[in-house]
Amino acid sequence: MTTAAQQTRVRPRRSWTPSQIVLTLLGTAVSVVFLAPLAWALFTSWKSETEAVEVPTHWLPKEWTGQAWTAIFETGNITNWFVNSLVVSVCVTAIVLVTSALAGYGFARTEFRGKNVLLGVVMAGLMVSPAVLGVPLFTTVQQMGMVDTYWGMILPQCAPAAMVYILYKFFQGVPRELEEAAFIDGAGRWRVFLTIIVPLSRPSLAAVGIFTFISSWNNFLWPYMVTNNPDLMTMPNGIATVMNSYGIQWAQLMAGGLMAGLPLIIVFVFFQRQIVAGVAHTGLAGQ
Amino acid sequence: MTTTSAETVIRPARAKTAAGSPAVRRGQGFQHGVWFTAPFLVLFALFVIWPLLRGLYLSLTDANISGDGTSFIGLDNYTEALDDPLVWESLGHSAYFTLLVVPCITVLAFLLAMLAHHIERGKWLWRLCFFMPFLLPSTVAANLWQWLFNPGTGMINHVFGLETPWLTDKSYAMPAIVITTLWWTVGFSFLLYLAALQGIPAHLYEAAELDGANAWHRVVHITLPMLRHVTGLVVALQILASLQVFDQAVVIQDFGPGPEGSTRTFVQYTLEQGFTSYRVGYASAVSIIFFVIIAAVALARMWLLRNREEGVR
Amino acid sequence: MGRPGLNRRQLLAGLGGLTVAGSFGFAALGTGADALASGADTRVRYWNLFSGGDGYNMIAMLDSFRAEHPGIEVKDSTLQWGSPFYTKLAMAAAGNRAPDLGVMHLGRVTGFSPGRLLDPWDMELLAKYGVREADFNPELWKRAVIDGKLYALPLDIHVQLCYYRKDVLKKAGLLGADGRMVRVTSADQWFDVLKEAKKATGKGLQTIGLWLNDQNFQWWFFVAFYTQLGGTWFDDAHTEVTFDTDKATQVLEFLRRHITDGYANPNFGGGAGAEQFVNGAPFAWEGNWSVPVFDTAKVEYGATPLPPVFGEQATHAESHAFVLPHQSGRGGATDEAAHQLAAYIVRHAQQWAAGGHIPAYTPTLTTDAYRKLQPQSEYVSAMDHQATEPKAWFAGSTGILAQRVGPIVVSSTMGSAEPDAVARRMKSELTTLLASKNPMDGRTAAQGGAVA
Repeated sequence: MTTAAQQTRVRPRRSWTPSQIVLTLLGTAVSVVFLAPLAWALFTSWKSETEAVEVPTHWLPKEWTGQAWTAIFETGNITNWFVNSLVVSVCVTAIVLVTSALAGYGFARTEFRGKNVLLGVVMAGLMVSPAVLGVPLFTTVQQMGMVDTYWGMILPQCAPAAMVYILYKFFQGVPRELEEAAFIDGAGRWRVFLTIIVPLSRPSLAAVGIFTFISSWNNFLWPYMVTNNPDLMTMPNGIATVMNSYGIQWAQLMAGGLMAGLPLIIVFVFFQRQIVAGVAHTGLAGQ
Repeated sequence: MTTTSAETVIRPARAKTAAGSPAVRRGQGFQHGVWFTAPFLVLFALFVIWPLLRGLYLSLTDANISGDGTSFIGLDNYTEALDDPLVWESLGHSAYFTLLVVPCITVLAFLLAMLAHHIERGKWLWRLCFFMPFLLPSTVAANLWQWLFNPGTGMINHVFGLETPWLTDKSYAMPAIVITTLWWTVGFSFLLYLAALQGIPAHLYEAAELDGANAWHRVVHITLPMLRHVTGLVVALQILASLQVFDQAVVIQDFGPGPEGSTRTFVQYTLEQGFTSYRVGYASAVSIIFFVIIAAVALARMWLLRNREEGVR
Repeated sequence: MGRPGLNRRQLLAGLGGLTVAGSFGFAALGTGADALASGADTRVRYWNLFSGGDGYNMIAMLDSFRAEHPGIEVKDSTLQWGSPFYTKLAMAAAGNRAPDLGVMHLGRVTGFSPGRLLDPWDMELLAKYGVREADFNPELWKRAVIDGKLYALPLDIHVQLCYYRKDVLKKAGLLGADGRMVRVTSADQWFDVLKEAKKATGKGLQTIGLWLNDQNFQWWFFVAFYTQLGGTWFDDAHTEVTFDTDKATQVLEFLRRHITDGYANPNFGGGAGAEQFVNGAPFAWEGNWSVPVFDTAKVEYGATPLPPVFGEQATHAESHAFVLPHQSGRGGATDEAAHQLAAYIVRHAQQWAAGGHIPAYTPTLTTDAYRKLQPQSEYVSAMDHQATEPKAWFAGSTGILAQRVGPIVVSSTMGSAEPDAVARRMKSELTTLLASKNPMDGRTAAQGGAVA
C-alpha cells in the first residue's frame, strides 16, 4: 500500500490526455449514480412529510424545512440509540483489539501444549456467525441472563476469529531478531510485547480496530436478536424495528438513516488513507 | 512451512532465555502463551464453541423458547427439516441471491477499481464515492432503497419512466434486493481490487509496452492474471456473505417473507422458526444444516487453494 | 511542526481514553440511556404496535392519563407491527425482561402460551379501577379467558371494511337516497357495481384497491368470504380438517376476478390502494384503521362491512387487547399502575373510536358522542357478524396460520397459481398444522393445545 502510494506521488502528473478526459468523465458519471441515492435521502429529509410523498416525485424540496430533523430529536429515541451504538461499538472495539492482539501474538510467537489444535479450532470458528447459529447463540445468552443488556450485545461480538488470524499472520512476519535482542537485554515476554511488538504493529492494529468499529456500528442482526427493549437498541436496529408512533414518515426515516450513517462517513473523510489501507489489509490478509 | 521455521528459531531462543533471563525466572513454570491467548479463548469458547455444541444438543430436542419442558427426540427434527418444503425453498432463495450477487459484484468491483486506478486526478474522491455506501448500516441502505423502489413515490420508476412493481411482484423482489446489495457492498470488494492493482509492479506494464502490446492485451495478459488471487478471495468472501444474507432482505420487505414468500432467506427461516414459531429445537436443527453447508463451502475453497498451490509447485 | 502534532495526538488519545472509559462505565451500569433520565416513583413500561392514526390517538390517551396521574410515569414504546412485535414480546418475556404492559391481538393470546409468556390479570385490581365483565360483549370476553383466568383485557374490535367515494358513486348512480352505497347481495351484483363505478372513475385510477399482494389482507378477505359461504375449518374436537375446497375455490376465483376483469391494477401493489382512493378511486377494501387517514384527507366517503356477496353477512374481525407479559416478580406498585393504565384506556375509548375501531367497552357505544361519529355508526353492526380465524394455537393476526396460508392466497389472487390447486394446498397446510404440536406445551390442537 505505502509503496504504491509513494510511487504515485513520485510519478509526475500527466496532462489531460484524451483518454484521461474520457476516464474522468466516466468516473464522474459513475460517482453520480453512486451518490444519487444518498443525495435523494438528504433532500428528502429537508422536505415536509406531505411533500415527500407527493406525486410526481421531485429531487429538490420546494420548501426547505428542518421539521424531520427537529422531529427525530424531539419525538424519537434517536439520541438514546446513538449513545447505545457508541457504547457498544467502543466497548467491542476495545475488547477485540486487546484480546485478539494478545491471542495473535500468543499463537504466533509462543509455544504451549495444544497450541496447534487450538489454532485449528479458532480457524474453524471463522465459519460460525450469528447468521448461521443465531438461535443457539440467543439461547446461550438467554441462559446467562444477558438478553436486553449491553453485555449481551457486546460480548458475543468480541470473539472474531478473523481478527486473531489477521494479527497472527502479521506477528509471524515481525523479524525475530528484534525480540531476541530485547530478550538478551533481560526483557520479559510482556515487556517485549508492549514495547516492541505493539508499536511496530500499530498500522495493523489500527486496521483491525477500524474494521471492528465499522462492523460493530453497522451490526444489525445480533443486536436485533438480543435486544427487545427500545431504550437499549442501537441505531441500525432502532431505525429498522421501532417507528415513532406517527407511522412511517419518510422524511424522518431518511433523517434518522443519515444520522446513523454520518459518523462513519465523517470519520472516513478524515481517515481515508488509514481506512482504505485497513480494509484492504484485513481483506487481503484472508488470503 | 512457517511453523517449522518458527519452531526451530524459538527453541534456541528459549534455551538462551531459560539460562539466565530474569523474565523466565519470574514466570517460572507458567506458559506465557496460555496467558496471551486465554482472554480471547474464553470469549471464543463462550460465544462460539458453546453455542455450536448447544445448537447440536438442542437440534436433538423439542426445546421451545421458554426453555422448559424440553425432551430428547433424536433425529426427528432433521428428518422433518429434510422434508420441509420451506427449508428447501428458503435455501433456494439464498442460493439464487448468491448466484445473482457474486458475479455482478465481482465484475463491477473490478471495473470500478480499474476506473479509479487509471484516473490520475482526484483518486481520493473516487474512492470516497464508491466506498461510501458501505459505511451505511444495512438497515439504512435497505430503507433507502425501499423508498427508491416505491412504485408511486420512488425515484427509480420516476427517473427511468417505469411502472415496475419492484417490491411487490415476486419476479422483481429478489432482483431489487440484489441491486440494493450491489450498491451497498461493492465498495468493499472495490477496495480489495484497488489495493491489488496498486500492488502490480509497474515494470511489467512497461516491458509489455516496449513489446508493443496494446491496452487490451495488457489487461488480459498482465492485469487479469495478476489479479487471480484477489478475485478468488473476493468470490469466496462474497459467496460466504451472500449465503448468509438477511438484513437487507427483511428490512426492504418490512420483516415479511416478500411477495408470495419469494424473498424468505435461509437465515430468516431459522429465525422465524426459533423466534416466531418458538421452535428452538427445530430452528437449531435447521441452523446446523446451514452450518454444514457453509463449512462445506469454506472447506471447498481451502481445498481448491491447496490444489492450486500444489499445481504451481 | 512536531510539537502541535504531538499535542493534538495527546488530546486525541485523552479523548479516546475518556470515550472508552465512559463506554465501559455505561455498559457496566447496564441500563439504557433513557432510564437514567427518569425520576418518577412508579414507571410503567408499555409496548404497543400502534402506528399512524392509531399511534396518534394512543399517545393522546396516554397524555391525558399522565395529566391525571402525575405520580405514574408511562414509558411507551412503539414497535413495528406484525410478527416482529410478537417476536420481540416473546423474547423479552422468555428472557425475563418483559415490559409491564403490552398490547396483543386477541387471536394470538391462545398461542402465546398464557401462564408462561403471559401473566393473568388481577380481577380485583381491575374492578378497583372500574372495569367489570358486564361491560363487555360476552363472546369477546370469553375469547380472553383461558383456564378460568383473564389473560387479555379487550380494547376494541376492528374489522375489514369496504370504503366508497360518495362523489364517484353518485356520478355512477350507485348511491342510494340515504346517501349510502346501494346494497349488494351477490357476486354478480358486486361486479355490476364495479362496472358502473369504473365508467365514472378518473384516468389513471383503478376501480378498487384490495391489497392484492399483501398476505395479511388477502388472508383476512378470504376468511371473511369463506365465512359468508358458511365454510368451516376443523371439527369441534380439532381432529379433522373440515375445510371445503369447493367453497374455497369459489372465494379465490372471486378475489382473482377483480384483476382479470380489470378493476384492480396489480402494478400498484399494496399500499397504493389508500393513495388511489384519496385521489379518486371509487373503492378500497381496508381495515377500519384507515378511517382517520381518509378523514384527514378530507374525502367524501362512506364505509360498510365487506359486501355479503355470498349471501350471509360476515366480515373479518380481530381485537386489540391489553396483556401482562410474564415477569417473574410481577406485583407491587408498578403492576398496579399497569392495571390502572389499562383500565383507564379501556374506559376512555371514545378517542380510540375516532381511529375507526369499535370500542370493546360497551358503555362507550351508547354515548351520543359515539353515535355521532361517521362512518363509524354505519359499520358498528359488523361486530355482530364477525368472521374470525379458527381457534387454535397457530391462529391469530400474523400468526403461523396466516404466515403459511396468506402467501398461498396471494399466489391465486395474483394469478401465479390456479384457484383450485391453491384451495387444495390450503387444505394440506391446514392438515399439517392441525397435526403439529404447539412448541410451547408439546400438544396438538386436538390435545388441547388450543384451550380456547
